Amino acid sequence: MSGEIALLLSAALLVTVLTALFSRSMSITLISMFYASLVVGVIFTLYQGILLGLLHIITFAGAVSVMLLTVVLMTGETDLTIGKRPLAALLSAVTILVVGAASYSLFSTIPTGVTQTPTMSILEFVWTFRPWDLLILVIIFAGAMTAVVNLLSKEESSC
Amino acid sequence: MLTDQTIFTTTAALLIFLGIFAMSYSRNLLKTIISFQVVVFGANLALFASGLGSSSSIMANTLVLFSIVVGGSVEAVGLALIVLVHKRYGTLDPWKMRRLKH
Repeated sequence: MSGEIALLLSAALLVTVLTALFSRSMSITLISMFYASLVVGVIFTLYQGILLGLLHIITFAGAVSVMLLTVVLMTGETDLTIGKRPLAALLSAVTILVVGAASYSLFSTIPTGVTQTPTMSILEFVWTFRPWDLLILVIIFAGAMTAVVNLLSKEESSC
Repeated sequence: MLTDQTIFTTTAALLIFLGIFAMSYSRNLLKTIISFQVVVFGANLALFASGLGSSSSIMANTLVLFSIVVGGSVEAVGLALIVLVHKRYGTLDPWKMRRLKH
């Protein structure tokens, strides 16, 4: 049963990512990336990585999606055409086939692959997390946001 | 034997190669950032899958945690640079940008 769940989630992830990468419309790309972030978060959450799943959804489906939308609105760039589209489609098909076959033949022979039962116990991390981890995360996020503000303020002052 | 680890590792490898491929073929810096996000998804999934069903799952979860934080921060800085590049050159096409430089 868990193998079917993994297959379904992987197929959903690949479909959303392919739609995001090869769509010409910016709105479809942003919506597809939002759903891809959600699917990755659901994979983490179902396979006993609840803190990771929530953090992934908050970071990528929340913050990064809003930042992408803001940049699109600021720049007004909506043309996402890939340089040589037929060649890109051909190369992507070949890449999918080669990488998929190679990865399956490589990793299906590893004997340590034990099936892990999915869990649905949400918010289990609340009483098991370590505060130091969250503190380090906050420090790294604050550093990145400071760099962004610094870049923008320097541009404003130079104008 | 088709285990969850095999499925997720294969998906992660596909995501990484698709992201690198789209990154090298895109003519828009926003698409480059989105492709980088796909690569980060693949890396996170590969790290997570490496800890499935083994004793090193805590280590894998910690690495995924830091990968999420670093990926989000790099994307934030990249988007800020895109705004600055658009203000300076008026385009997000790297080929046009290269011609405008000279």
